[in-house]
Amino acid sequence: MRHVAVIAEGRMTYGYSRPVMRAIETDPDLRYSLIVTNQHLLPTFGYSIEEIERDGLNITDKIYSTLDGYTPATMCKSLGVFLISVTDALVRLEPDIVLVVGDRGEHLIAALAAAHMNIPVAHIQAGERSGNIDGLTRHAIARFAHIHFASGPDAAERLRRSGEEEFRIFMTGAPQLDELVNGDAAPPEEIERRFDLKLDKPLLLVVQHPVTEEFGDGVEQMRETLEAVCELAYQTVLIFPNNDAGSDDLRLMIERYHRPFMRVERNLPRDVYAGLMRSASAVVGNSSSGLIEAPAFHLPAVNIGNRQRDRARGSNVIDVPYERAAIVEAIRTALSPAFREQLLASDDSPYVGDGQVSERIVEILKTIPLDEKLLRKQLAY
Amino acid sequence: MSHDLSLYTVPHTATIREAMERIDANKHRVVVVVDEENRVVGTVSDGDLRRAFLHDVLPIAPVTRIMQLNPHVTTETDPARRHEIIRDEQVTVLPVVTDDNHLVDVELAYEPDF
Repeated sequence: MRHVAVIAEGRMTYGYSRPVMRAIETDPDLRYSLIVTNQHLLPTFGYSIEEIERDGLNITDKIYSTLDGYTPATMCKSLGVFLISVTDALVRLEPDIVLVVGDRGEHLIAALAAAHMNIPVAHIQAGERSGNIDGLTRHAIARFAHIHFASGPDAAERLRRSGEEEFRIFMTGAPQLDELVNGDAAPPEEIERRFDLKLDKPLLLVVQHPVTEEFGDGVEQMRETLEAVCELAYQTVLIFPNNDAGSDDLRLMIERYHRPFMRVERNLPRDVYAGLMRSASAVVGNSSSGLIEAPAFHLPAVNIGNRQRDRARGSNVIDVPYERAAIVEAIRTALSPAFREQLLASDDSPYVGDGQVSERIVEILKTIPLDEKLLRKQLAY
Repeated sequence: MSHDLSLYTVPHTATIREAMERIDANKHRVVVVVDEENRVVGTVSDGDLRRAFLHDVLPIAPVTRIMQLNPHVTTETDPARRHEIIRDEQVTVLPVVTDDNHLVDVELAYEPDF
């Protein structure tokens, strides 16, 4: 029975790996261990490990690694702490495969550790472009990964062009869309009740993270968004940013702009977030969910600034700079009947999600030969 | 009536322990967290403290880590109406705020008996 070690560091990437772990649970030839770290263990982010526990997943390790401060230096140093700890976890667990996801630092560190220990690394959401330090991280993970799961043909092609061998690349689609496609989203009545909303009125979902390359500008960037939200004064659910460098100041800014028509949340379970996306009129900010998941709900995304600069997008996305007037204008466009109509007619998301992505990934994890050919990477440019 | 707000508030720079001391003193099982410009940014209740304790959060951690982010507040001026909200929402302390969320008073479910 193959043993897969899975890494979970935050709410976003958990959505990538949960459907895969669920699929592993139903497969007699596979088992998994879940190593939980970073945001999931922090009270500021609403103890999201509780969601994992409620989901009943097999958590084998809780690695506390995050240094307070949320500056570029603490972010980097936290990764160092994680490297030391995850190495010990891998020594103890002796997995056959380490499964990492997305573009966050902890996943790069886990890939680095596993590759050094001759444990094959499989990478979900490989080969895409994304802005920020994340974009560099994703492609650094690709160099250490032995198996690449790409979410679309464009990402698969980028892996080929960056020297990854054909037999390692699988165009599986994006597993985080499985749950959405299969209807795992909180129903509108629950959303209405939970957040005290009226869904016959416009609803904005706001998620804005700091941009690591623009460290120091986050407060001003957030101010523009919040000013726009206050000017429109629609019902708004605003979710705390992740804990990247600069995030502490953004949280203070949110506290300052908190108005009675806003709900502020530290963290939300995946199905509730999905339910919000289904019920919202637009998602505003710089979360990748506006580009990857929102199209599944025909949800317009007002994408602010550079964080998603290089990421592939469909026509649900309206790109705007960090300017309150432009943001207001874009939200108005997003909410207009004409835009909505055009969105319902188009189906041009670059992310593949047919509800069976996790099954495809699990099949590969189960059957790919774990041999010398897999472990010995040749990077031929 | 107007109340001694210092008994029902802590600054957002306070520690969890400081919030605990304030709650202990005000006998209302909750304290309002305000920023440097006296805007309401959250509340911390006995329940939040219990939950933090169960998660091994230290008393020296910032209170903002564990506070409720969406407290019931009101701009209502009529005391009778405020008490309806207190009953409906089952709160012991209802912050009274201006339109832009500055704290002006608190309405209490019961008057303190010191």
